Formats: sequence, C-alpha cells, structure tokens
Amino acid sequence: MEIFSNLAVGFSVLTWFTLSLAVIGCFLGTIIGALPGLGPSNGVAILIPVTFSIGLDATSALVLMTSVYYGAMYGGRISSILLNIPGDEPALMTTLDGYPMAKQGRAGDALVISGVASFVGALLATIGLMLLAPLLARVAYLFGPAEYFALYLLAFSTLGGIASNNQAKAALASCIGLGIAMIGLDNTTGMPRLTFGNLHLMDGVDFLVAIVGLFAVAEVFFFIESHGKGSSIGVKLEKVTVPVKDIVKSGWTMLRASLVGFIAGILPGAGASLGSFLAYMSEKSIAGPKGKFGTGVPRGVAAPEAGNNAAAGGALVPMLTLGVPGSGTTAVLLALLMTLNITPGPTLFTDRPDVVWGLMASLLIANFVLLAMNVPMVKIFVRVLQVPPAVLLPGVCMISFVGIFSLSGSYFDLLLMVGFGVMGYVLRKLDVPTVPIILGILLGNHMEDALRRGMVLSDGDWTYLFSSPISVGLWIAAVAGFVAPMFLRKVLQKPQAITD
Amino acid sequence: MIRSDRIFGLVVILVALGYILSAVQIQTSFLSDPVGSKTFPIMIGAVAALCGLVMVVRPDPEPDWPGLGSLLAIAVSVAVLVVYAYSLKPLGFLIPTAIAAGILAFQIDPKPVRSVFIGIGLSIGLFLLFKYALDLGLVPFPKAWMK
Amino acid sequence: MTKTLRALSLSAVLIGAAGAVSAAECIAPANPGGGWDFTCRQIGKILYDIGQVDEPVQVTNMAGGGGGLAFSSVVNERGDDADLIVAASQATATRLAQNAYGGATADQVRFVGAIGADPGVIVVAADSPMQSLGDMIDAIKADPGSVAFGGGSAVGGFDHLKVLQVLKAGGFDDITAVKYIGLDGGADAITQTVGGFTQAMTGDMSEIVGFLKSGEVRALAVLTEARVPGFDDIPTAQEQGIDVVAVNWRGLYVPKGISDERFEEWGAKLAAVAASDEWKAAMEANGLAPFTKVGGDFQSWVDGVIASTEELSREIGVIQ
Repeated sequence: MEIFSNLAVGFSVLTWFTLSLAVIGCFLGTIIGALPGLGPSNGVAILIPVTFSIGLDATSALVLMTSVYYGAMYGGRISSILLNIPGDEPALMTTLDGYPMAKQGRAGDALVISGVASFVGALLATIGLMLLAPLLARVAYLFGPAEYFALYLLAFSTLGGIASNNQAKAALASCIGLGIAMIGLDNTTGMPRLTFGNLHLMDGVDFLVAIVGLFAVAEVFFFIESHGKGSSIGVKLEKVTVPVKDIVKSGWTMLRASLVGFIAGILPGAGASLGSFLAYMSEKSIAGPKGKFGTGVPRGVAAPEAGNNAAAGGALVPMLTLGVPGSGTTAVLLALLMTLNITPGPTLFTDRPDVVWGLMASLLIANFVLLAMNVPMVKIFVRVLQVPPAVLLPGVCMISFVGIFSLSGSYFDLLLMVGFGVMGYVLRKLDVPTVPIILGILLGNHMEDALRRGMVLSDGDWTYLFSSPISVGLWIAAVAGFVAPMFLRKVLQKPQAITD
Repeated sequence: MIRSDRIFGLVVILVALGYILSAVQIQTSFLSDPVGSKTFPIMIGAVAALCGLVMVVRPDPEPDWPGLGSLLAIAVSVAVLVVYAYSLKPLGFLIPTAIAAGILAFQIDPKPVRSVFIGIGLSIGLFLLFKYALDLGLVPFPKAWMK
Repeated sequence: MTKTLRALSLSAVLIGAAGAVSAAECIAPANPGGGWDFTCRQIGKILYDIGQVDEPVQVTNMAGGGGGLAFSSVVNERGDDADLIVAASQATATRLAQNAYGGATADQVRFVGAIGADPGVIVVAADSPMQSLGDMIDAIKADPGSVAFGGGSAVGGFDHLKVLQVLKAGGFDDITAVKYIGLDGGADAITQTVGGFTQAMTGDMSEIVGFLKSGEVRALAVLTEARVPGFDDIPTAQEQGIDVVAVNWRGLYVPKGISDERFEEWGAKLAAVAASDEWKAAMEANGLAPFTKVGGDFQSWVDGVIASTEELSREIGVIQ
C-alpha cells in the first residue's frame, strides 16, 4: 500500500493556507471557465505571474494552479447550459443537451447533474493518475502518425448525426473548420499557407476566437432578432433541487464517459475537447434513438462533463511522465513546473515524489472543494437567467471582447470574432451545425500532420495507415460510426415514409 | 421560389473553388514531404464543394428569415462591434464599452434611458472585474488623458 | 451578477494588490512550455528574486510565425519600449538567416546577450542497434529510408539542420533522401522515437535529460566541443570524427530604439542573472551548459552566427 503512504506525503501539503488557496483557486477558475473567451489555459497563464508576485512556494503555487485548472473545467459548463455559449472549448458538447434543458426550465437540474458528472470524471481520472500514471505513459508510445490519423478520423466520422439532420451540412461544417485550420504556418515545412500575406494570420485562427464568435456574438444577433423569445432567459425556473433520480440513472453514463475521456486525455494531441466529444458520441450511440440525445436529457449533460473532466486529469499523465503537454492548459502547467525548476519527464515520479504526490493531493482537494462549492452555487448561477437580456447579452459580448483582446492585444482577432459571429448567425439560420466547425479548427492541423508524417515514414505508401492493430481497430470504429447512423435512420424513417 | 439553401450552396461552391485555387498556389519548398502542403487543403475544398452541390440539388425547407427591421438592427450591431474593435486600443476600455454596450442594449430592448445606464454600468463593472479580479492589463482611458 | 462581482473583488483583495503595474515585460514568441517560454519565465523570475527589478516580470506569450510575429511586433509597434525584453535563441538566428521572418533583419533589434547553451544531441531508443554516429551514418548510406528522424523544429529548422550537418560531415549529402518529420516539440519527438515510429531523435540536451536518466534512450553524440559536465559518458561528435558543433544558445533581444544606457542596464541585469545561484541550478536541472556572452560583442557574435547559418543552409540546400 505504497500509494497510501505516498498520498500521506502528498497530503502534508494540506494546511489552512493551502486549503484557502484551493478555495480561491477553485472560485477564480470557475469564473474564468464560465466567462466566454477565457478558458483554462489563459486562466492559468494569467495567474502564473500572480503566484510569483505574492511569493508563493512551489507547492502552494501548484495547489493554486491545479485548483484554477479544475475550476475552469467545471466552470465552462455554466455558460454552455445557461446561454448556449460554451465558456471554453471542452464545454462545447455540453451545449447540445444542457441548453435545451435550460429552455425547459431545468437549468438547475442540468447544472447539478453536470457538476456531479464533472466530479465523478475528475475523481476517477485523479485516481487513475495516482495508480497508473507511469504505466499509462506507455500508451503514448503506442500511438504513431497512423494511429493518430485514425483517431481523428473517428471523431469526424461520427459527426454526421449531431445537431443537424442533414449530413451534407454537418460535413460542410467540418470542412469549414478544417479549412480554417489550414490557415497559418504549415507545421511540416514552417512556411505560411493561405495567409494572403497577413501577418496576423501567420499563427492561424485561434479556436477561442471562433468559439466566442460563433456562439457568443451570434447569440447576441439572435436576441436582437427575436428579443429573447424561445431562449432560456426568463423561462420560469423549476425549484433547484438535487435530482437524485437523474443522477443515479446517469451513473453508468458517467463511469463510461469518464473512461473514454480519460483515455482520450492520456493521448497527447487529443485532449479534453476530444475526450468530451467522444464521450458524448459513444453515449449517444449506446442510448440509441430512444435516448433522445440532443433534446435536453440528463445523460446528455452527464456524458460530456464526465468526459472532459476525466480528460483533463488524463492529460496530466503525458505531461508529468513524458513532458509532453496534451492540451493548451497542460502546456501552461508545464511552463509553471519548469519555472519552479521541476522538469517533468520519466524520472519525475522517482526524483520528486513530493511534487508529484503534492500535485495529486491538490487535485483531490480541488475536486472536493469544487463539488462542495458548485452544487450549492447552482442557485446563484441560475439567477443569471433572471437578468434582463438587455443587460446580460451586451455584458456577455463585452466580456468576449476583453477575453479575446487579452489573447493577443490586437484588433484583428476582434474583427475576426465579429466575422465569426455573422457567420454563426447565418449558418445556424440555415441549420448548419457550428460544433463541427470548432472541432475542425481544433483537430485540423493535428490530423494533417499525422497524415503527412505517416507518409514521410512510409515513403508515400498509403497502406501504412492501416498497418497496426490499433489503427485498424480505429478505422473499423470510424467506418461503423459513419455508416451506422445512415442505416439507423433508414430503419427509423421507413414507417414515416409510408404515412407520408 | 429560389431556396436559401440553393443560394448558399452556390456560395459554398464558389468559396470552395476559390479556396482550392489559393491552395494550388501555396509555395512549397523542394524539401517537401510526399503529401505536401497542398494536398490536404485541396481535399477539404473538394469535399466542401461537394457538400455545396448536395445543398443545391436537395435543399432543405426555407428557414425563417427575420424582417427588414431586425436585419437592420443586426447590421447596426455588427457595425457597432466593428467600430468597438478598432477603438478599444486607442480610446481605452471605459468609453467605447459604455457606448457599444448601450447601443446593443437598446437594440435588444429599446428603452433609451435604461440603455444609457446599462452601458455605463456594464463598462465600469466589467472594468473592475477584469482589472482587479483577473489582473488583465486594461487601459481605462485614452493614453493622452493619462499623462 | 452583483453578488458575483462582490465575491470577485473580495478574492482580488485576498490575492493581493497584484494588478495595476506596468513592470518589465518579457515576450516569449511561442506558446507556453517551450524553450523561449522557459527563458522568459526563468529569467523573469530570477530578475525579480535577486532584486534586479522591483515588480515581477510579466511574461507574454506571442506565438506566431515561429517568432516572426513577435519580432515584427517589436520592430513596428514597440520600437522604443524600454521595459521590454524578448526571448531569443539559435532558432531566432536560424530563421533570420533563412529569411523566414518576411524580410526582417537582425539589425532591427538589439541582442542583449546569451546566458546558457543547450547542446545539440542525437539520440536513439535504448533498444536501437545503432551504437554510434558511425553506425547511423552507415545505416543511412546503405538505405537512406531505414532511419527516420524526429525533431521539434519544422523541415529546414535547427533540429533538421543538425542531422544534415552530421550526415554531410560523414560523407552523405543527398539531403532530400533523409527522412525527417517535424513534431510538436522535443518531448513529442522522443515519444515517437521510443515508440519506434522514428528511429532517431534530434534535439537539445534539455529535452532528453529525463529520458536519459530513465534509460529509455541512448545519446549517440552531443554536438559540442567538449563533453557536457554531468553527462560525461556521452561522446561528442568530434570524438567520433564528425566535425559538427551545434548548440542552441538562449538569450534576449530588446527593441532597437531604447537608449544606450538602458541597453547597458539590461546587459548588466542579464549578467547578474547568469551569475546567480538560481540560474546555475536551473541550468543544471535542464542540461544547459554555461555560456555567457553579454553586451556589445554579443551583437557581433550573433551577426556572425547568422552569417554562418545562412551559408550553411545554402550549402546544404535548405534555402536557395
């Protein structure tokens, strides 16, 4: 039971001071996560200088930062559910069922269920991290270019069924995202592509700009058009209670989604967004058409939240054991560790057990603090929906502007964001889903890089893409994911066709 | 009647062709890999054009477009946001935010006096939030006033 | 909303009055986690710790164009900002030499100094049959496709150049036949090499320290003039008859328009960091070799490095 003695060492970081730091961190993280445009990675990045300016030692700094990290992962769901605006990219999938629930007056239920799901996902991931991290690091060694390419393909192949009944439109949305992702420096050659000589486009289009534009700014336009009719704002809210029945019913969903998310998190290059995405899609297909995913069902908020929080924990595996940051946020945490003179890598667990186990203990602490904080705070969160739209929407819009402005300090990103807003409005009018656009932007470069690296290694031999058991398995899943909905739809549509 | 989806599909095809055309012109170094910088963008453009074609051939039912008044209001908001984007840096945070938030509030709920208060309130409130709680380096006023 | 605001201002009080300072700023021209970010954060932290600056240094990550965005932003928008420092390295020099910053030239900024060097290394997985650079070169001569390299830089970048230099010195100069894939940083390149997807990894010492200690990789050569202290069992390339030296220096540049006094001041501050125990500890932990060059002669040294990198790139054929 070495792990308990290790954990005991870790929990020696727990003092009243670090506990209050954890509370502050969790609170700030939740706010940062909920504000559109500010995600976990900028949240942590913004706060790093603060930790030095108040002279925190290494462990305290770690406690604060992990609390902010997990806090932001919890917080992202709030604006997804209440306003259909994902607070950050991992919370994207939570809009799909969370917002319909809010429109039905069940915002409180959705927030509580997703809060519990976040807790389950993060807790299981932390436990997995403690028990298996050095072993799990080996998983990264199994994934080469061919395997990654198949994994990304799997994500896109299952896209057809979400949020739109028209597969051509879903495919178009993915293409828009992938096409945007191509803009900027070509990773392989280091040469600019499709930038039209614009220096601002050299680094490509930041996915945060796209998210905030497509969701937050577009939402403002919808409000101007409809003056808030048919939205979640002002809907008569049911009393906030703990929906025990729904939570119990979502139990298996949370466990499965945590597992899927955790595995996605372990793979560098997949990250929390892919974790929540795959978790949602796999639960959706398990539930089948009877599950009514997308119409506002509790399992539809439990799955992505358990998935993305588990992925956030999983992403720490390659970061700590290989020094490979699996996501933007873990890259910032890596930077923090290196500033503290701690170099993550295969020897970190043996060289600096104090740091590793201190970190694990902080994660556990943050997780419990967040659960304790988030469930009672739901009552405060849902009040947001009582704020008049004339205050709330301009507020959201201005927050988005400042969030994006803080990324680069350039007006160019702001203009781009407004452009995405107009695009989001038109596309949603035409029933083109916007979620695949974000996924395309997030994964486009990774997918292309994987393909090109694979082709370099194989001298252009395409069979390389199917050369390992893992990649073949992923290809089969991808093809099944693409074909299955078509058949299902045919089967379902038959009786209708007769009545037509 | 011409369906919106048909028009949109045509636009998609045109944009996709333009995209493919710019992708073809991407400069490549002679050290390039077997796939190269162009292949993937061209593939994306081709699939997008195909999707556009499907929309032209099999359009969905017409969406519910807003009336002229709402469209105008949205256009005004877009213009306000564009001006706001340009003015944040030279004019500082407070004044442009108050004006932009006020106009947006008016577009959503046309009550002039209330909109003015909303603009001013949001501007000051958000400034305090970002500057002091989240420690973002915002400039409150035009730089010239600060000296 | 008001409740949230009140709570937030409370937390601001708890966190301390950290806001509202226009202290020195260090731009890391890349995303967090890489070498430039490390440079900014370490130097920034030590500057504050040893009392060279009064306020903590604000680190800004300005990724884009492999550093080109930050470079042009400094040249065009902040040309006289006396409180600005920017992280630089051999990668900056390589890109300037290959004209990868859209026509920008090294004389548009002032290079303050370098305070450490990251030795270039070529490593293989522990179970690789290759035991020396000679084995590697022989294998490539026999079948160029049999050894694929992974590195953290794009094609034609510094990591790629290291391999090409070694092979050229070893008598193999069909550079288009050499398989190289650019990955997202050195750690990623190692992972792919340990996983067997690439057969060798080219990078910096700091990127491989942990993996060396855990025994998962073996370094074939270090590209320095003498063996690196602490890693004495790794032979240099020169010992193996391959005359290649490639070190990635880490340092700073500042805008061109600042006063000479301020430039000297930054030089002195940087020298103080170089002499501090904190920096020595950081260097040791990360496999950096001591390499301090500050002030006027650094500028001319950088010019020399750029000229020779340009010549090399041309000679090898990475640029035309």
